[in-house]
Amino acid sequence: MEQKSPRVTSGADLSVEIAGLRLRNPVMTASGTFASGREYADFVDLSRLGAVVTKGVSPMAWTGNESPRVAETFGGMLNSIGLQNPGVEAFCAGDLVWLGSQDVPVVVNVCGHSVEDYVRVVERLEDEPGVAAYEVNISCPNVDAGGMAFGTSCAPAGAVTAALRSVTKRPLIVKLSPNVTDITEIARAVEGAGADAVSLVNTLLGMAIDAETRRPKLARVVGGLSGPAIKPVALRMVWQVARAVGVPVIGVGGIMNGADAVEFLLAGAAAVQVGTANFADPTSTMRVVDGLAEYCARHGVGRVSDLTGALEE
Amino acid sequence: MSCAALDAGPHPLLERVEVLANDRVAEGVGLIALHAPRIAAAVEPGQFVHLRIATGADFLLRRPFSVHRAGGETIEILYQVLGRGTLDLAGKTRGDVMDAIGPLGTGWDIPDGIAHILLVAGGLGAAPLGMLAERLSARGVAVSVAQGAPTSERLVARELFESVARRVEVATDDGSAGERGFVTVVSERLLQTDRPDLVCVCGPEIMARAVAAQAARAGVPCRVSLERLMACGIGACLSCVVTTSHGRKRACVDGPVFDAEEVCWDGAEVPPRH
Repeated sequence: MEQKSPRVTSGADLSVEIAGLRLRNPVMTASGTFASGREYADFVDLSRLGAVVTKGVSPMAWTGNESPRVAETFGGMLNSIGLQNPGVEAFCAGDLVWLGSQDVPVVVNVCGHSVEDYVRVVERLEDEPGVAAYEVNISCPNVDAGGMAFGTSCAPAGAVTAALRSVTKRPLIVKLSPNVTDITEIARAVEGAGADAVSLVNTLLGMAIDAETRRPKLARVVGGLSGPAIKPVALRMVWQVARAVGVPVIGVGGIMNGADAVEFLLAGAAAVQVGTANFADPTSTMRVVDGLAEYCARHGVGRVSDLTGALEE
Repeated sequence: MSCAALDAGPHPLLERVEVLANDRVAEGVGLIALHAPRIAAAVEPGQFVHLRIATGADFLLRRPFSVHRAGGETIEILYQVLGRGTLDLAGKTRGDVMDAIGPLGTGWDIPDGIAHILLVAGGLGAAPLGMLAERLSARGVAVSVAQGAPTSERLVARELFESVARRVEVATDDGSAGERGFVTVVSERLLQTDRPDLVCVCGPEIMARAVAAQAARAGVPCRVSLERLMACGIGACLSCVVTTSHGRKRACVDGPVFDAEEVCWDGAEVPPRH
């Protein structure tokens, strides 16, 4: 694949293949941190990304949770946005049209309160040529019905995956929750139900309190923890899942730079997603791409895909 | 400052800014001057910058600050030390460098034809009104200011307002300057005596809400600048939403200035702690 970046001087082949999807590099955006990319276009050359993963899309508009929705914590942040989005029709008429004019694969994150909700979103998106793959959100901790409820036991996780498998031939990535006893069981269940890849981890359920006011910092009291604070947990889970399933693993959790991305690849990830880092520095994804290329050059790595699972134990 | 100009306004910039001065102006309140030529050239009153104060991984998020004044290649920010971010900001000295995204947000968007405006500032709510007062006054608009604070020392930017406004009336909690009590006593009076065409208010949400109600009773349009906790500052993360009659809007890109009539105040939240 033609190297788009003028800044990447390494001769390394950064391209990867995920579930039949050829990406120019393994760096994707994490759902919910990048909207649909339009807001970042002033800071990021989208054509230098492996893929854009959109904010979660539900069948109808969701208004999300009350404010405050965000709280900073040591080495990270909590959010309880609650998957606010305008619904699949508005998404198709708005952000998806804009994304269609960009030179980047589009992975649509799909959410719902029920299996039927997920199916409705994917069926609608099947009519849209600009969708490269789906990421199935069965792991959001910030909604009452659906979301994480599907992702914390094997049967519902498998049921959502199987239902979507029956309505699409496009690559199906299932995003897993870390809020489980054994993430490898869930990974195996969705693999068995037809998932083409898994992405992990979504946020860890957490909480923050203001001692002065004795109030929770989030209106919803609990929320999802992200950022560098969760990277060791995410790395461990990627390592475990990569050994447990045959499908590609996409690593996400606290990636701030190229070195962090390399760690996830070594642990077994075939690609990575950058999330909270976008808030600190809107150019974070570009720095991760450049950092990966620089690492490959420095270590004589010819193909970035050779790093996947190359941990020396 | 017309609507069209803002719609076609410049895209936000990521700029390395350098601290020129950082002075205490009152108990717990600082004024920092930053060399930020690109942002200074583009910023409109009411817009904000998103500052990356610390670059370590322990505390990651940027902090949004209204631009208090802008001139030449410099922007000034008034801040109150409330938490980790503003404490670090207070420790910055001349020559320190940060990165800033800006200018962000909609600004006050004052329509042409406004002859007389009332600005209502509560505490650090004076911050986004300083540049507005200066620019409106320069444009020949009569400016009245109602300003409130806990003490006379905390009437930040009072000198600026007095230098450009036709009238400045103040209220303090302790009576050390002007009326003893809330700024709403003063704003109510000025609404009656000065008959402004527009009210612009910034301060604690409970005060902004009260002033909006006064303006509504007087039949005067009112704009409010609202503060929310933010992560991205550029419209992506949906952390900073404000509940309005047109649904939930983002304070960072759809605001921070809103038409008071569209704000659903019952969604009011506890003041953000930086």
